[in-house]
Amino acid sequence: MAQRGDAVSVRNRSRFMQAVAAGVASAVLVAGCASGGTGTGTGSQLVIGASVSLTGDFSDSGKAVQRGYQLWADTVNASGGILGRKVQLDLVDDASSPTQVVTNYQNLINKDRVDLTFGPFSTLLTIPASQVAKRYGYAFLAPAGGGPKMFEQNLDNYFFVQPAPTIQSGDVFAAYVLSLPAGQRPTTAAYAELDDPFSSPIAENIRQKLEAAGIRTVYKQVYPSETMDLSPVMGAVAAQHPDLVVGGTQNEDAYTQVKSLVQLKFSPKFLFQSNGANSPLEFPDKVGAANTEGIMAPADWFPGSTAAGSAEFTAAYLKKYGGSAQSVDDSSAEAYAVGQLISAVAARTNKVDNATVISALHSGSWPTLLGNLSWSANGAPNGEFNLVQWQKGKLLPVYPSSVAQAPAEAPKPNWAG
Amino acid sequence: MHALIQGVILGVLTAGVYALMASGQTLIFGIMKIVNMAQGALVILGAYLSYQLFTSFGIDPLLAIPITTVIMFMVGVAVQLAFLRPLHSEDRSQLSVLVTFAVALLLEGIMSVVWSTTDRGINTRYANSSWTVFGYQITLVRLWAFLLSLLALALLHLLLNRTRFGRAVRASVQNPESARLLGVESERVAAIGFGLGAATAAAAGSMYGLLYPFNPGSHYDLISRLLSIVVLGGLGSIGGAVAGALIISVSSAVVASTISPSWSQMTFFIVLLLVLLVRPRGLFGAAARGAI
Amino acid sequence: MTAPRGLGPARAAVFFLVLALLPELDLGHWLLNMLVFTLMFAVMSSAWNLLGGFAGYPSLGHVAFFGIGAYAVVLWFQHHAIHSGYEPFLILPLVGVGTAIVGLPIAAIAMRTRADVFAIVTITLVFVAQTLAFNLRGVTGGAQGASIAAAPFPSATFERPFYDVLLVLLAVAMGLTWAGMRSKVGLSLAAVRADEDKAAGVGVRVQAVKLLAFCVSVGLTAMVGGIWAYYQGFIYPQFAVDPLISVAIVLMTFLGGRATLWGPVIGAFILEMAQQYLAYSLGGSQFYLIAYALVFLVVMLLMPRGILPTIEDRLRRRRRRRLVDDSAPASPLTPDYVKGDSR
Repeated sequence: MAQRGDAVSVRNRSRFMQAVAAGVASAVLVAGCASGGTGTGTGSQLVIGASVSLTGDFSDSGKAVQRGYQLWADTVNASGGILGRKVQLDLVDDASSPTQVVTNYQNLINKDRVDLTFGPFSTLLTIPASQVAKRYGYAFLAPAGGGPKMFEQNLDNYFFVQPAPTIQSGDVFAAYVLSLPAGQRPTTAAYAELDDPFSSPIAENIRQKLEAAGIRTVYKQVYPSETMDLSPVMGAVAAQHPDLVVGGTQNEDAYTQVKSLVQLKFSPKFLFQSNGANSPLEFPDKVGAANTEGIMAPADWFPGSTAAGSAEFTAAYLKKYGGSAQSVDDSSAEAYAVGQLISAVAARTNKVDNATVISALHSGSWPTLLGNLSWSANGAPNGEFNLVQWQKGKLLPVYPSSVAQAPAEAPKPNWAG
Repeated sequence: MHALIQGVILGVLTAGVYALMASGQTLIFGIMKIVNMAQGALVILGAYLSYQLFTSFGIDPLLAIPITTVIMFMVGVAVQLAFLRPLHSEDRSQLSVLVTFAVALLLEGIMSVVWSTTDRGINTRYANSSWTVFGYQITLVRLWAFLLSLLALALLHLLLNRTRFGRAVRASVQNPESARLLGVESERVAAIGFGLGAATAAAAGSMYGLLYPFNPGSHYDLISRLLSIVVLGGLGSIGGAVAGALIISVSSAVVASTISPSWSQMTFFIVLLLVLLVRPRGLFGAAARGAI
Repeated sequence: MTAPRGLGPARAAVFFLVLALLPELDLGHWLLNMLVFTLMFAVMSSAWNLLGGFAGYPSLGHVAFFGIGAYAVVLWFQHHAIHSGYEPFLILPLVGVGTAIVGLPIAAIAMRTRADVFAIVTITLVFVAQTLAFNLRGVTGGAQGASIAAAPFPSATFERPFYDVLLVLLAVAMGLTWAGMRSKVGLSLAAVRADEDKAAGVGVRVQAVKLLAFCVSVGLTAMVGGIWAYYQGFIYPQFAVDPLISVAIVLMTFLGGRATLWGPVIGAFILEMAQQYLAYSLGGSQFYLIAYALVFLVVMLLMPRGILPTIEDRLRRRRRRRLVDDSAPASPLTPDYVKGDSR
């Protein structure tokens, strides 16, 4: 009796296991065969695939990027599409994960068979994603992906769609400081830098330039990214009474740095932050609108810019998403510029396949709402950022003079409290 | 020297909020013998509730504490009833860590949907005020947070030592079976205990939102700190939680001020490891539970 | 209740044969890519099972060793060149053994605690590892990350080598598990899992067997970390040591069934493929994290012992009912969890 029962259950179990194995195999087979794809080459639609961070750490900027791509697609389709083909965006979420982003571009390229790919948000994701694109011969234009390691990869299919590599975004501030007549120049400087792939290198670039010109570094500190309490660091900065403070920051710590300085009642004559201070809505909300006066930051796009397509972009953005020109995230502008480049390549060469895009963008200068862009062989752009400053609640470009809409305010006024 | 004392001041003031959060967590452990991995997420939820009350109705976060504690108490009880009570006791200790972690993820997801992942901060008019006392800086909000935490801890102490419910709780912590024999309804104590833990998280959350920017993902950093504090102090001991919070807060702040912020994160881990090596049950922990 | 000899290995042979032949079917890179990640988790779950399932020590810190393996491979090849592309695979055994050795003192300290405190200590390990990865900038590159030269495999078959190596690693992990279950080590672990103090009392070599389980477990995990790093090409501290990986491994093992042979593998296949696919198709909606957490909770609450033991329970109940109906004397009740059957 017991034996018969055993035999039955043993058979059940082994049958179960084989069923599972067969089930997995057949599911995989079916899924594999079903990957028909949406057609390639000269179909009636131009399908562009991109993985953006709609959830997770990068989601705010990821969503801004999504808006930029979408806006460009709508704008272009309203005037007939690209070379007669309507643009269709195939956007997927990578949850800010580098593992998912690899899977996403694999799927976009090999399963959905998109015609072109646009980049994700953040260098951290762009690096592995660009490798996938390179393997299959796709051009990779990215609105974010300007960290130094990106260019060390030497990928010829990669184009960073911003005026300059990210770690050079602070150079314009150094240029501004050094352009001041000797009597107005600061003599001492302090550096508070976030330990991440961009913020610290940006601040270090500035420091090297300023030190070479004789501006003494009285304090420098690099802090880890989970540091919630910056009062020890900013306290040490304030204790040295520097003329100039450079914050190599992202968003959260930029707000914390300013709040700390206000609480310490120390207001340097020059304050520059590599990120955070250029957020038109967040920054005044977090640090107090009156405290923003005089703080400087880098920007590639700013409201009121007269670069190619900027006015059209702003108008379309406000119409679709509301708000004011001041509230437009420059990540959306950068994403829009990515699309502009595709339009421009199509217009100049009458073709829009990956090989053409790659070879075309490597020569000459291409107009976008970020200014005229051009690249070297590894995808690093050859331009310069703009320096913007908070004046009476608005972010205005103040340097270089070719884009300045107002004279720079120096020294920075005291905190409002 | 100045940096050292400034660090100590900062550490002591910050310790209050962490002590409050940790006391809730250690209380939950004491009553139910489960590690609440969702404590960090509950704090952040409390912060979001205060934020919402502040931006929608203009209620100051410190004044909103009575409101948020009541709401979060009910949330805590609901969580306990829905997710923790069904766990069978044989696997409870293992599963509770995972279940509460899943609850933390669930809360994070809900907060992301409702409030998006943008950083938030509660910016009251006095948010940036500070005094300078004998050359040392004392921020107003930090001082308020410290005093309120002391008040909340005192209330908790009163609750546990002067009320009937408190006696039931202490009995359950010391010896669950005897307590049940004596008529303590352990199921009810467990639910209310979890609610209390969530309520302390709410109070701490209001203060946290005033001090730091936060987003739904902030609970990871918080929970690692809280775990170190409760293990250091001894699981189940509120006095231990307070002591642990002080030790860890002060040592982190001092290291940040005098050496470098990069290593202050490590301080509390090193402190924790040292304590575990010397005294695995923590400073004031009971000998039986989960240790040698 | 053990299966008759020969059936277990036959099942395993079929399984591995099917998997080995899958890439030949020209399925598309995206699918192979998904399978690569799935196999990574299958190996890690099986490895975790040795410690968390069989020994009864639920570690939430395995990803710290994943990160160690990842950085070990990347840093090694910053000083050595990659020619054929197979060198990173060849040093994997070294990475595994090295990590196991590093894990020995950690295990000795950590396993002085039990259950929940052990879980907390292992979580602390993760944060320590992450902080070290960030702070030791000279060694790991810190927040700037570290890179390894891209694998020179032809793009048509890029995933194959990774896939094949992972398949071998899975066979090793499952082989070790199977051998362990049948040996004195497995019996000792079962005793430790049931009641460690009594086990020590009757003379089981508790300390030795615990350390063995820990070191083998983390060694395997580190090897997967090394493969992952090579596959990604570029690693950052917060992704190489990501707490969510630890959570995923635990969930997969729980789902499939702790202390079983096939449980972790089944759990990994179901969860990882579902998760990658869902993230791809549904990721845009905010509800992804909520759905994930709810799945987690449902598994914990409704099937706390996992799929395999639950099914096995039902089968046994049916069998016992038949036995009782046949008026045979009732068989002694032996919880399968303790016995650790070969399933």
